Amino acid sequence: MISTLEHVNRLAKEKGPKKLAVLAPEDSEFMLAVKKSRDAGYIEPILIGDREKMKKVADEVGFDISAVEQIPEIDRQAVANLGTAMLFSGDVDMESKGQIPTSYIYRSIIKEESRAGTGRTISVISLWDIPDRNRFTSFTDTGVNIHPDHKAKAAVINNAVFLFHILGYPRPRISVLSGQREFGGTLPSYEDGKLLKEMAAAGEFGECEIVEATSFADFFLNRGEQLKSYQDIDLSNLPEILLVPSLDTGNILCKLDFFLDVNRRSLVMTSKGPALIPSRSDFCDSIMGEIAMGVVVADRLQEGVN
Amino acid sequence: MIGTFHDIIETARKEGAKKRVAAPSVTKEHIEILSEAAEANLIVPIMIGKGQDIEDAVKQTPLASLQYEILDEKDSLGALTRAMQMVKEHEADILMQGGVSQKAFIDSVLNGDKGLLTSKRASFVSIFQLLKRDKLILATDTFINSEPTLPEKQVILENALVLAGILEMESPKVAALASIEQVNPAIPSTLDAAILSKMSQRGQFGDVVVEGPLDIDCALDKNAAERKGLSSIVTGNVDIYLTPDIDVGYLLAQLLVFIGKMQMIGTVMGTSVPLIVNLPFVSRDNKVAEIALAALIHQRGARHG
Repeated sequence: MISTLEHVNRLAKEKGPKKLAVLAPEDSEFMLAVKKSRDAGYIEPILIGDREKMKKVADEVGFDISAVEQIPEIDRQAVANLGTAMLFSGDVDMESKGQIPTSYIYRSIIKEESRAGTGRTISVISLWDIPDRNRFTSFTDTGVNIHPDHKAKAAVINNAVFLFHILGYPRPRISVLSGQREFGGTLPSYEDGKLLKEMAAAGEFGECEIVEATSFADFFLNRGEQLKSYQDIDLSNLPEILLVPSLDTGNILCKLDFFLDVNRRSLVMTSKGPALIPSRSDFCDSIMGEIAMGVVVADRLQEGVN
Repeated sequence: MIGTFHDIIETARKEGAKKRVAAPSVTKEHIEILSEAAEANLIVPIMIGKGQDIEDAVKQTPLASLQYEILDEKDSLGALTRAMQMVKEHEADILMQGGVSQKAFIDSVLNGDKGLLTSKRASFVSIFQLLKRDKLILATDTFINSEPTLPEKQVILENALVLAGILEMESPKVAALASIEQVNPAIPSTLDAAILSKMSQRGQFGDVVVEGPLDIDCALDKNAAERKGLSSIVTGNVDIYLTPDIDVGYLLAQLLVFIGKMQMIGTVMGTSVPLIVNLPFVSRDNKVAEIALAALIHQRGARHG
């Protein structure tokens, strides 16, 4: 079981380099992460984007890209299409979003999945490494679906369970998060949880468990119990997969890493390998960590497939 | 400046008048909390419920030698009705949920005709103490309103601004949160946030800056915001986080408590008197600060005039 980011970084060194299609690395912070990941032996990058812009930011961070494979392309959608096509044809092991709108990479993945007839939908999973937890917790879908219905949420669960199985968690626990309280009627997010539990019981998601709890208070306190002391909070009660009700909830919760002592790694699990989705505001270390995560996931996926 | 929970307790104490707290159907645990607040010279508890049981429990606490009142009322809902009556007749200054169930309490106090609403809408504000410096931040609505519309969000914001004033926040900076910082017609929260931001720009909230939509990374981190091309005095220095709906608000508050280990207290704004609600994730250690906050709101709250 892969349980911490330190473990991920170690494995990435061991299993790399993997071929990474980098979609428009045209920001210096981002290019620096590509350089460092290459130096660390994680990746062999293929840079797709505006040649001049890539050269400029590479110079800024002291990265000599003359010996790195480059595909010049200015059109943003074409950049995404090229990288995703390479992922699906097996020319690269993974892809990462640089300075292109996220929706473009989603669009290209949806097209390739449909062409491959996999039936897979796309969703973003954001993994959290919390100190002293020694297990990943994740939020999903944090990037694609604005207000998923229970069917879309079922697909999101499937993608997350797939990833956790790859990471070596045989039976991940899932919570369908909701703002449901004892008053104020029944929220749609809570209703969906009931439907999804029925689907889980019917075996629709494979080996996993949907827990009863729908909020953090439920994870850590018994019904009717009041929090006594912060020392009593037992983080092992935190499920591995937190299914969020909406994009607003997912995005706002998962990016609290900017505030708290936790680290986040976000990716889309395509049928052919990981697509990394760093936030436009992420800094070099975080992007590099995301690349390491991608290397490990790609490696595990290939191991399973071959 | 009021920067910590300790400051709240000290300020409430200094401002004098001990507040009368109407507390229906109290259990031993509530009585212990009330006793601590009375010992801190913040309140005089008026406990409504099974008289003999309350009397016996009081004797186990320092409250026994302090000022208190017991009103005998066997029935739980009857106790709540009586407590609300006292509030309406100005015989009590603060209402505590006590042993009344969440649903019964919230439904009764927020009832349009018979309840305690004064604002167009009541809302819940979480107050967090930052870990690294003496500053309080507010998040709202984290408990009461499920799916507020734009006019409702406006009231929720105005309610929070009243509290910001009581806590001496000068020119409060508000982040109207959404999933992204761009206005996207497909994401309703970004539209509401943009409109509130525009209203603030036109001075409709007074000396307040509302920035929105802001995603949480831009709200929390000035550098992150600048990488997204967003420059504002609000980013990285937010006083009030306005959440788009209850899924976000309720879960955000809990995540900050349980994973972020941040100390939190809360209060209901928009009612004729401050309310002390039983939220399971307000730690026992912070209940006296929560009562002190209610006392301070009553003392300073212009809305009660």
